[in-house]
Amino acid sequence: MRFLLIASLLFSCTLLASTETKLAPDFPLSSAFQDTKEIRSLSDLRGKVVYLDFWASWCVPCRRSFPWMNAMHRKYADQDLVIIAINLDQEPDLAQQFLSEQPAAFHIEYNSSGSLAEAYELRGMPSSYLIDKSGAIRVAHTGFFKAKQERYEAQIRALLAE
Amino acid sequence: MQLSKKTNIAAKLATATCVLLGSTQPQAETTASEDWQFDTAILYYGETDRVSLVEGVVSATKDFGDDHVFNGKITYDGLTGASATGAVAQNEVQTFSRPSGKGGYQVAANTTPLDDTFRDSRVQLNANWSQPLGSDMAGGAGVHLSKEYDYLSVGLNGNLAFDFNQKNTTLSVGASFQYDQIDPVGGKPVGLSSMPVRPYSEYDHDNDDDESDSEISDDFYDSAFAAQYREREKSEDKNTVDALVGVTQVINRRTVMQLNYGLSIADGYLNDPYKLLSVVDTSGVTQDIVFEERPDSRTKHNVFWQTKYAMDNGVADVSYRYMQDDWDIQSHTIESRLRFNVGESGYIQPHLRYYQQGAAEFYRPFLMADEALPEYASADYRLGEMTAYTVGIKYGQKRANGHDWAVRLEYYQQNPENAGFTEPEALQRQDLYPSIKAMILQFNYSF
Amino acid sequence: MKQKMRLALLAIAVSQAVGCASLGVQPWERDLLAKEEMSLNAEGVDLSLDDHIYFSKEATSGGRGFAGGGCGCN
Repeated sequence: MRFLLIASLLFSCTLLASTETKLAPDFPLSSAFQDTKEIRSLSDLRGKVVYLDFWASWCVPCRRSFPWMNAMHRKYADQDLVIIAINLDQEPDLAQQFLSEQPAAFHIEYNSSGSLAEAYELRGMPSSYLIDKSGAIRVAHTGFFKAKQERYEAQIRALLAE
Repeated sequence: MQLSKKTNIAAKLATATCVLLGSTQPQAETTASEDWQFDTAILYYGETDRVSLVEGVVSATKDFGDDHVFNGKITYDGLTGASATGAVAQNEVQTFSRPSGKGGYQVAANTTPLDDTFRDSRVQLNANWSQPLGSDMAGGAGVHLSKEYDYLSVGLNGNLAFDFNQKNTTLSVGASFQYDQIDPVGGKPVGLSSMPVRPYSEYDHDNDDDESDSEISDDFYDSAFAAQYREREKSEDKNTVDALVGVTQVINRRTVMQLNYGLSIADGYLNDPYKLLSVVDTSGVTQDIVFEERPDSRTKHNVFWQTKYAMDNGVADVSYRYMQDDWDIQSHTIESRLRFNVGESGYIQPHLRYYQQGAAEFYRPFLMADEALPEYASADYRLGEMTAYTVGIKYGQKRANGHDWAVRLEYYQQNPENAGFTEPEALQRQDLYPSIKAMILQFNYSF
Repeated sequence: MKQKMRLALLAIAVSQAVGCASLGVQPWERDLLAKEEMSLNAEGVDLSLDDHIYFSKEATSGGRGFAGGGCGCN
């Protein structure tokens, strides 16, 4: 009986495909983000699930990920999902051009120096991190694949349900 | 494509390597949408007084999701004009038989013998598939088919690419196999045997493509002359295996380099059945005309190194290739393209290429009548010593809607050289190594 | 013998390149490399047409490969 209990716990944990749980590095959020004046940095978003995405205008799979992120925002924003997409372009004009062709309903932050990418130990472009309500990174994805969209969504739902 | 107007073994070998090297593998990264992407081009190549070629290509690419890419390509080329047979000029008129034997042609005094018998056209189909095979691995496979009047070629190729160091380093391996069948017009001549000669008659044909036999007299068919053609082998074949290993390395934010090693092994009929050699006496007067003979195998090694550097407003591309084979040919190729972006979406790109090759071990510009016939001999200048230059310029526009166009104009000059053969007196008065000058004009359109 | 030396040198060069972890850039620094004109397969149709011309008129063929470089995405 105990064995079954442990096994089922382990099984539900695997759904979240966790790496070691560590706290997401904090960073300030731009003023355009604020719903209320109290949200100044990432850590102020504790209690919500954050989907943190790193993108650039020259990254073709990023172009494919934006419609999906828009859909996730529409579906889960009122359930406390916050999507933040951090742009890593070295030339801000290119980011604006991308956004005019591919509008985003979610929040965009800019980090042309790449310091945040380094803090999050980015392995490839694009990269996304799912941060749970306590501020820990639970899932890290490298690359964006349409074939994995459902799995990404299931992971978001699992964290929102916590 | 056979710029010799006849089957050109080098061209067929090249097709194998072309396919292997993924020349039909598109850059999937640039297509965000999943529509078909078409790249088309039409090219005109014209040599002064020799061969002219028109070639058209339509290439279609589609990403079926997550970089699962299919590419199909159709190429057509049509060739006209004359090319050198390898026989030497003389100070009097010479008569040669057409490859089919059903006619002959005359070459004026003091002129390089050129055979203008053939007009030829070729169609080629390529299909390639590439996809990721894991987070740091990708692979592809393809087939090709090419058909022309006297030549059929089919091939398969496959390749794998492995990424390391966060995709800063990529190791690629590839292999291809190609089977070619050659049905020379008039059958396969016996190497180093004499070219049959007969006097002109009113039934001579200007065009060896002409299959209609009804105009040929019975005398032709009964003669001992015609028997020499009837007795020949009708068809020959050849296999080619190519392998490629390469490393691509990102050096810094602006620079990427590639280093490849390629091996090619060909086995089978490697002759050009339409090429000739003149057998001359000690004063340089032609005594006989014979067909060429090459070994039935060839192993080539090549090393290719390329650097691409991103400038603020353009790209600099420089490459070097060294080739060595067991026919004793060594070659060096240095090539550079410099692209300068102009205006909002335009670019201008000068192109320079320098090529130098040494002669094959069995290359002979002519044979001496008083010497024994060698085992292998060819006077095809494309196996001889030569230097070639290309200078070109391209202008194009890349529009945001994906409808790009470009035009390219190039000048290509080949300078064959004497690989150290002493010329008998009569031949010293001839130009045995004429330069070949060609213009290339090409239009591209993508949508 | 000379050929074996050459091949050995090439093998060493390749192994050095593969082992060169110090060369390269961070994944987010590939903006210039991601440009279409920086791809090793850029102008593929032109390269393929040129290859056909030169292989028909000269004794050498091949050399190029197209994998690697670029955006490094996915």
